[in-house]
Amino acid sequence: MRHHFLGRAVTAGVAALALLALAGCAPAGDQPDKKEGASLVVDMSFDVKTLDPGRSFERTGTLVNHVLYETLLTFNGDDVSKPVDGLASYVLSDEDKVMTLTMKDGGAFSDGSPITVDDAVFSLQRVQGIAGNPSFLLDGVTIAKTSDTTLTLTSETPNPTLAYLLPNPSLGIINSKLLTENGGSVDSDDASESFLNGTSAGSGPYILESYDATSQIVLAANPEYRGDQPAYSRIVVRNVIGETQKLNVQAGESQVAIDLNPDQVAELSADELNIKSAPSRYTIYMMLNQDPSISTITSNPDFSTAVKSALDYDKILALAGKGAERPGGVVPSMFVGTLPTERGNQFDLAAAKESLKASGYAGEEVVLHYANDVTVSGIALQPLAETVQSQLKDVGINVTLAAAPEATELDNYRAGKEEMGIWSWGADYPDPQNYIAFAPGENLGKRAGWLAGDAERVERLRAAAQAASFDDRGAAYEELQVALNEDGPFIALFQPVGNIVTAKSITGFTSNSVWTIDLASIE
Amino acid sequence: MHPLARYLLTRLGIGVVLAFGITLVTFTLANLVPGDPVQAALGEQASANPAIVQQFREDMGLDKPLPVQYVTYLGNLLQGDFGVSVQTRTPVALELQRAFPATAELATAAILLSILVGIGLGLMAALRRGKTVDHVIRLVSLLGISAPTFWLALVAYYVVFYQLRLLPGSGRLSPGAVPPPNVTGFYTIDSVLAGQWATFGDALSHLILPGTVLALSTIGLLTRFARSSVLDVLSLDYVRAARAKGLPSSAVTLRYVLRGALVPIITVLGIAFGSLLSGAVLTEKVFAWHGIGEYAYNGATRLDLPAVMGVGLVVGITYILINLAVDVLYGFLDPRVRRA
Repeated sequence: MRHHFLGRAVTAGVAALALLALAGCAPAGDQPDKKEGASLVVDMSFDVKTLDPGRSFERTGTLVNHVLYETLLTFNGDDVSKPVDGLASYVLSDEDKVMTLTMKDGGAFSDGSPITVDDAVFSLQRVQGIAGNPSFLLDGVTIAKTSDTTLTLTSETPNPTLAYLLPNPSLGIINSKLLTENGGSVDSDDASESFLNGTSAGSGPYILESYDATSQIVLAANPEYRGDQPAYSRIVVRNVIGETQKLNVQAGESQVAIDLNPDQVAELSADELNIKSAPSRYTIYMMLNQDPSISTITSNPDFSTAVKSALDYDKILALAGKGAERPGGVVPSMFVGTLPTERGNQFDLAAAKESLKASGYAGEEVVLHYANDVTVSGIALQPLAETVQSQLKDVGINVTLAAAPEATELDNYRAGKEEMGIWSWGADYPDPQNYIAFAPGENLGKRAGWLAGDAERVERLRAAAQAASFDDRGAAYEELQVALNEDGPFIALFQPVGNIVTAKSITGFTSNSVWTIDLASIE
Repeated sequence: MHPLARYLLTRLGIGVVLAFGITLVTFTLANLVPGDPVQAALGEQASANPAIVQQFREDMGLDKPLPVQYVTYLGNLLQGDFGVSVQTRTPVALELQRAFPATAELATAAILLSILVGIGLGLMAALRRGKTVDHVIRLVSLLGISAPTFWLALVAYYVVFYQLRLLPGSGRLSPGAVPPPNVTGFYTIDSVLAGQWATFGDALSHLILPGTVLALSTIGLLTRFARSSVLDVLSLDYVRAARAKGLPSSAVTLRYVLRGALVPIITVLGIAFGSLLSGAVLTEKVFAWHGIGEYAYNGATRLDLPAVMGVGLVVGITYILINLAVDVLYGFLDPRVRRA
């Protein structure tokens, strides 16, 4: 009797489970991959905090805002070397101080209202006034309406890079009337962020259907868009970790995966998926603090030279996987002014030992800081730090590793308290001017205890690079990087690869270092 | 006043004091963490601009002394205001309203499956003590407890979703599907309430795999507790007396053995449910579930202190309520507790 009861109970349990499974069972992998009227599913790891273009400066927000908001200037596809007309055309004055933008006719926001010069002025002044993360893009720039079709951007000093900044989606043009009605303003009283997180107010090829900062962002084609309608009428951008992204795109549940690291890509078959690898906009670098009050060891120029010669850059590059590159300096390979690898630091064990001897180093511990909870284009910093430790040990430098979560270590780094550190720098805009941050007295320079007046040659070359004409800028920035390599506290290690994997049904798309992938270009 | 009502009111009063304690502890711990939440929230360029840093600090109320911040936080909390996320500048209450039901639905599915399978297997093992079935069940339960959840989740995702294509993959619904009108936040329940049967099937199919993965360790735990608890009861006089009276085996098992064994099992269930609610972060990551575990993880790693405090409070209150429910259940199951 007892066994009969148990048997019935187990049978009933199994049957219930089977029914539950059958009731909810839905075949996976049969998601639509047709294009007309179809949804496109894009998987990526979210870092989005807001979709307010004036406040958003994270990768996910930039990717989405690029198709929600048009900008005054833009880039043509993958090419970020030359800004082209967007909502406006531009002329830069001879001394590179005044940019005059002329609005084009026929533009309309998603509610059908025309785009005017007032909208452009409002949008740019708002970025400055609300002082969000992207406000630095327009530091020192005065924005003024000069006629019903023109506006000027006047810089205090020559600003040839302005044209490279304007395509940034953070400078997208917003429907000023709509935004003002919903709490928008051009100063710190602005209260329209929550509105923009629910409704897009732009003129791009898509409009915002729904936004959840943690799970997914849904976009629908903008019927008022004046350009060609995008191939997909609806796009779902989902927040998914890399390993799951890989399985989803293999199974056909998603059509695009954006955050696969080199190891994951190596496991994929090019016969089944499209794989596009390109150097990312990140530079991974090492820093040696030049402030003697932080470290008398790393601030010693001979010790610094020894470290630069002691690193086996090819072995370090191998850690970054296939497709990663090693520019000779901090400027990435696809930007004007990038330094060829052969002009960068080179591995030379004998020279390293000689410099170390000259430094008087006697085996003291030096501490190498890094964040252990982040990856840069899928590259974890832990194995990198271990490799650096091992290579420096070969010349007799004793390195202690100090890992911490990024949120806590960042504070330490920005306060200039790290003795040595490994960090990454992602270009805010595709121009070598972005890397002036590494100069003495600048943002990153100060973190390394490298202050204005500390390096005469570097500062002279920096001034020359910033003043160089369009044609001469590349060579000038190369010379600046040679000096940075020799005299500075930074050691460029490598530039990781960025991978975009798509289903075979995707026949084309453009991508670049500013907005990662142009969702509207996906066919 | 009815003794049960008095008991419940007393426990609720203690719960309020505990909740206050939780706010104090989470606030203190959150502020002891090294690092500046403003630096963590601002970008590279913005963090180098003192004016922007100062404005952000003022906007978030972080320029005030800690005691003032705490009192302000408590005052707002009494009005249902959990503060604003430093990262997203969205009210934490809104984010918790989205994240908590997601995890609660997953944890409820996992606990129901655990009860069904875990108690069933435990009972079966105890009734067949020393036989092959008992040995197999004990071994399987040990595997369930020992297997790392993150690994299990990845393996289950790979095999069931990718290789076998039996169940759908990421998220709570298919890509782009519109969630049902929000009533409880449980997509399965809300879709039924709205009569959206296709959405119900979609939500249920997405729930099965992560729910099962999450349930596996609880099943192992419950199986072992249920087995040992049933074995204790089987040897008691009242069970022997019931058998001697000639009651059917099923009646003895259900009315005497299982009921008697349930008290310690309920205790474990309460703890396990609480753990599922607060510790599902790894499963949530793999299945892109975006519940409170992931929310807490992101809040902690990005120094989003209002988010961390909100999660601490919600999880703490949940534990208090679960313990209260467990205590009440004791009374129903065991007359001696009721009389006491």
